[in-house]
Amino acid sequence: MAVRHLSVEVRLEPGVAVLDLMGEINGFAEEALNAAYAEAEAKETNTILLNFEGVDYINSTGIALIVGLLARARASHRRLLACNLSEHYVEIFNITRLSDFMSVFPDEESAVVEASVS
Amino acid sequence: MTDRKPARTDADLRQTLAEFSVPSEPGNERLAMETVAEAVRDLDIRGENLERLKTAVAEATMNAMEHGNKYRSEVPVEVQVEVVDRDLMVRITDSGSGPPPAQAGDVPDLEAKLEGMQTARGWGLFLIKSMVDEMSITGDDGHHTIELVVHLGAEGGK
Repeated sequence: MAVRHLSVEVRLEPGVAVLDLMGEINGFAEEALNAAYAEAEAKETNTILLNFEGVDYINSTGIALIVGLLARARASHRRLLACNLSEHYVEIFNITRLSDFMSVFPDEESAVVEASVS
Repeated sequence: MTDRKPARTDADLRQTLAEFSVPSEPGNERLAMETVAEAVRDLDIRGENLERLKTAVAEATMNAMEHGNKYRSEVPVEVQVEVVDRDLMVRITDSGSGPPPAQAGDVPDLEAKLEGMQTARGWGLFLIKSMVDEMSITGDDGHHTIELVVHLGAEGGK
């Protein structure tokens, strides 16, 4: 079974840098994820949104990579948000307590609205 | 005189659904995960319960490939899928030596990880324990086996 390596596109919405994630978030994803996050930081927004719509697999190594991004966001006083997670990965974000530190939204629209009002 | 039916034995209640192996190569946990999902397709494991099982199998296979077999591709991870009575049992065996990994599976301290006081990794066993009804790890001089149990039926899965 071929690994679907992660690709990421970074775009700017009002007040939010959005990372469109496509593929698998696993050990292979580290370079792409960190490079995209750095590109998002360069947009100089206070909020960065991880859009998981194109992601169908996250393993424990991927969880660790997301923890790393969250640590970077906290260190630079940015908010990290997530949207379009499947029901299963919402559960995993809950049991790992990631959702205590990064708000999870059902879709991009609600996440961007939240980012614009706070 | 009436014929007496023989008592049912464990063998009567045991059904092997799949036995296979995967090379210890990064990414092959998905192959194990999808093969187990296919093996249980006729069981009453659907939706979120199936997703939980798949995550547990993937994480257990990753642990076996990484910690047991040190990602030596020529050393396979063996997977056995059985139904025993009303339990689905998935056993994942590596060729690791030494004592089996601790199975305490404490809840990882996310705050400590975010503050850089702990490695960001270390989620695997915790996820496995969270995804299935029972988990145990056994081992001898040349193997470790992690056994995942899902209770079938209306209450099956977590």
